Amino acid sequence: MLLSLSWLRDFTPYEGTAEALGDRLTMLGLELEDIRRPYAGISSIVVGHVVACEAHPDSDHLHLCQVDAAQGELLPIVCGAPNVAAGQKVAVALVGTKLPDGTVIKKAKLRGSPSHGMICSERELALSEGHGGILVLPEGFVPGARLVDCLKLDEEILDISVTPNRADCLSVLGLARETALAFGLPLTPPAVPAIEETEGPLPAIHIADPELCGLYSGRVVADITVAPSPMEVRFRLNAHGVRPISNIVDVTNWILLECGQPLHSFDLGRIRGDRIEVRRARPGETCVTLDGQERRLDPEDLCICDAERIVGLAGVMGGQNTEIVQESRAVFLESAVFKPESIRRTSRRLGLSSEASYRFERGVDQERTMLSLDRACAMMVSLSPGAVCRGLAVAQPGPFVPARMAFRPARVGALLGVSIEESFMEKVLQGTGCAVDRSDPVAWSVLQPSWRPDLTREADLVEEVARFHGMDTIPPAGPPVVGTSVEPGRHDFWAMIKRWGAGIGLNEVVNYSFVGHADLDHLGLPREGRISVLNPLSAEQDALRTVLAPGLLNTLRHNLAQGATGLRVFELANVFAPDDRDVSERATGVRETGTLGLLLYGSRHDAFWPHPAADMDYADARGLVEHLIATLHLPAPVFKAADGHPYLLPCVTVVCGDREIGHAGRVKPALADPFHARKDVWIVELNLDTLREEHAKATIVFRPLPGFPPVRRDITLVCTPDVQAGRIEAHLASLSLPLLAETALLDVYEPAGGPERHLTFRLTFRHPDRTLKDAEVDRLREEVAQSLAKLPGVHL
Amino acid sequence: MDILETLDELVDETRRRLSDIAEEQALEALRIDVLGRKGRLSAIMGRLAELDPAERPKVGEKANAVKQACTDLIETRRKDIAARKEEEGLARFDPTLPGRAPWQGSLHPTTCVIDQLCGVFVSMGFKAVSGPEVEHDYYNFEALNMPAAHPARDMQDTLYITPTTLLRTHTSPVQIRSMLASPPPLAVIVPGKVYRRDSDLTHTPMFHQIEGLLVGEGVTMAHLRGTLTTFVQAVFGADTRIRFRPSFFPFTEPSAEVDISCKLCGGTGNCDGEPCRVCKTTGWVEILGCGMVDPAVFEAVDYPADVTGFAFGLGVERVAMLKYAINDLRMFFENDKRFLEQFL
Repeated sequence: MLLSLSWLRDFTPYEGTAEALGDRLTMLGLELEDIRRPYAGISSIVVGHVVACEAHPDSDHLHLCQVDAAQGELLPIVCGAPNVAAGQKVAVALVGTKLPDGTVIKKAKLRGSPSHGMICSERELALSEGHGGILVLPEGFVPGARLVDCLKLDEEILDISVTPNRADCLSVLGLARETALAFGLPLTPPAVPAIEETEGPLPAIHIADPELCGLYSGRVVADITVAPSPMEVRFRLNAHGVRPISNIVDVTNWILLECGQPLHSFDLGRIRGDRIEVRRARPGETCVTLDGQERRLDPEDLCICDAERIVGLAGVMGGQNTEIVQESRAVFLESAVFKPESIRRTSRRLGLSSEASYRFERGVDQERTMLSLDRACAMMVSLSPGAVCRGLAVAQPGPFVPARMAFRPARVGALLGVSIEESFMEKVLQGTGCAVDRSDPVAWSVLQPSWRPDLTREADLVEEVARFHGMDTIPPAGPPVVGTSVEPGRHDFWAMIKRWGAGIGLNEVVNYSFVGHADLDHLGLPREGRISVLNPLSAEQDALRTVLAPGLLNTLRHNLAQGATGLRVFELANVFAPDDRDVSERATGVRETGTLGLLLYGSRHDAFWPHPAADMDYADARGLVEHLIATLHLPAPVFKAADGHPYLLPCVTVVCGDREIGHAGRVKPALADPFHARKDVWIVELNLDTLREEHAKATIVFRPLPGFPPVRRDITLVCTPDVQAGRIEAHLASLSLPLLAETALLDVYEPAGGPERHLTFRLTFRHPDRTLKDAEVDRLREEVAQSLAKLPGVHL
Repeated sequence: MDILETLDELVDETRRRLSDIAEEQALEALRIDVLGRKGRLSAIMGRLAELDPAERPKVGEKANAVKQACTDLIETRRKDIAARKEEEGLARFDPTLPGRAPWQGSLHPTTCVIDQLCGVFVSMGFKAVSGPEVEHDYYNFEALNMPAAHPARDMQDTLYITPTTLLRTHTSPVQIRSMLASPPPLAVIVPGKVYRRDSDLTHTPMFHQIEGLLVGEGVTMAHLRGTLTTFVQAVFGADTRIRFRPSFFPFTEPSAEVDISCKLCGGTGNCDGEPCRVCKTTGWVEILGCGMVDPAVFEAVDYPADVTGFAFGLGVERVAMLKYAINDLRMFFENDKRFLEQFL
């Protein structure tokens, strides 16, 4: 909402600065966004008196003028405007002045004649679009005086951000009310104008849907002449961001800004049948609005009709068929109240927001609807030679009923934690327009003002007291301690995993929860089981991710484009799937599963030295998973080769105890290629919900330290390629030798020129009660070796 | 040669040979050659049987002395070699060589901020909880006093899944879920992802919020001020000033926005004579929204009519940008390693 100090002063005598007003309003919840200076560009323009004006001898349109601008001598100015004449008062840009468009006025010669300045048009002064000729000023203006002073232009405009609850502050009057209360100034509300009525037509009003229109009123102004408004009207509207149009439309905009009541002017001559009907649109009906767009309506839209057709979309925009035009001779002026929800719905559905719909959506002051109408009529006949016709066309099926609230002064202290005088509370409530009855000292009876739709409950009144008392002056009190459960929740578990990830040397990433269906298609994921976004910002964000891989791969692509040679990242996020288990009324139908994703790519180490150069591989991925599982005190995971994964090959499922917790594998090179991956991409995805459940059950149980030293023996097996290390380990475990305490793979050697692999295991033997003898251990090793040699594809 | 002379000669010979030895290995070879089981001394002593038994004790005594002398010579040499090696090693030590760097991990800056903020609130008695990201309209809007046609819904452009389910536009629905799950008193802090249908230089369609809710007997706006002052000073420094400015949120009444004194210009609005780009010369930076829980919200969760409580919500990225002087919101979701590695 834009507000000039001069307009504000029409209602309250505020004499401070714009900055001080802005600061005070900000601390009342009406935040100052900016102070605009719309006429800063013409502050050095002065008034000039055209002393002489004659045609230029060498031109058919230029004039040679002698201008008195109180510069000590007459200025010769060459002027091309057709309307320039001797005796006029005009706006002069002196030599050295910079015009709003950036032009700097210099001494010049035009067709041989000197020109020391410029006589300006409204467009050159950025006052309006008018370029029919120079701006001719009133006689009484004094040469040499500043134009902005003479025209009383609004040099400072406050741009105030109004929250959606404060419908009343979308008007100068509403802001004046706040200002008056804040600074202890009197408020002079707009007076009820005396209207001289003449005989004339008056349409009948019929409201077909009283639910959506509580009040519809209108008056006719006849014998008008459509013309531009006077300067003071045009320049004030212009300063408030409204384009001046005509002496009829400008009045409706003026009253809208001043009182907050949207008005609409119809060309009465084109309203058919002397009748206005307010009804819902019928299926298939259309309406061409003032902006020239044809709008297809539905039965939820409220419209204004004459006897034959739709003439406007109620509260949103008028119809082109009854627009005020140059030839219009009579106006039907509408001032009404429409149901906010209905206006909002239509405005949203059509994507058509107007100054009117913005205010109707938030609520207008129904008690002053007809006052605004009368003010508009009075102003119209003062600007145009028209006359107001007798009678007020009105239908009010739903009069405004103010809320009556019980206000307990003690509640102020209970909510704000500060002691406030009751007299101050009363002053504030009355200042906002409430009628206050204190006959019950414990619970006052307070009546809602018609312009404050947001004041309906006690808490709303407490807020008013808090605003004017100053929320910033409430003394802070220590936070009250509230006993809460210390049982770790999902957030705590995720935080622990994140610290694990960062601690072990991975970089945490955060990708968007939405991806494109195309991204999921690319990874070969099934079409069914996805959650789509109904109104996505783009096709790249039209589905919720079902796995973390797409985001991780995008992260890889970005980093490769930035020249990274390796990447080790992790992400914790939800993946989304349909869920029909919850059938309650407010179920979302979506299951969110917490997931940990890891991506490993390229160089194992960032530094060249002293690490050997190598790329990350399966062992890195698996090692991280094993480390995490150990950190969570879960049983060592088992990795099982899995076939048929959509985007991982090879792929393993990770099983912990008897539960599958996720999978790990290499992204199929063809699928990784579009992400510019030239090396293997390893991805792990683990179910955090399962891990959390299992972790909650895990406990640490101390195992006593062995009392006797271990004895170690190595054993090397020559294996055919089909023998996997896990096969050997499983066999060793199956032997159940009580003295074999541990087995571990020591080395894998693949000799050149043969298919075999040499697997070396280290066997650790230990006796709980005594030291083992060498010979005894040698015998055990031999026993193990012979047993392994019987496996197919294995020899010693 | 007389056996005694031979024994004496062994000491001289050992001394001579030692002078050429500079390496541990050669020294050990010499020791074995002289003193080993099959060494020179053993060989000499092997001839003991040839001697007159009367001479044997004398020779034995001599042999022990020789063994001791040779051992001393060798051990002295060994110490010399070790000392020289140590000296050479020290001379070669290059402290300027790089370290064997372990992997350097990092936490996303939003995680860092969430950790720190939650830590402050948990220490004040709040519990960190989570809620679903896909929400029913009821929890996201309706129960928070934003019925279908409420203009406040315009403040939050929404991404919908179906006409009644949506990606939550704020973490506030967890207020409702928390209150439905347990009676007062209650103090929760809710970090999480939120979504808006908005994408430009200063908006991303996904970002993070932290929501706080405290309901209990006699809770007032003074407690809210105290709690937020403690929090702001813990996160932004003890000299940070805080300002409460009335505002509007459908689910709090009274509502306020909280500004903190600008860290860049120190609240003066100017940096070295230039207008401050962070606070735009106001000296204040908006940091969060808060207020006393609206009675309509308590009604929606069936809480007693006169119970009081406060709620607040803040944008995590905004705090991170202020804290770490990050100037581009989009960097949070590009996941550039060079960006990520700076936060832990």
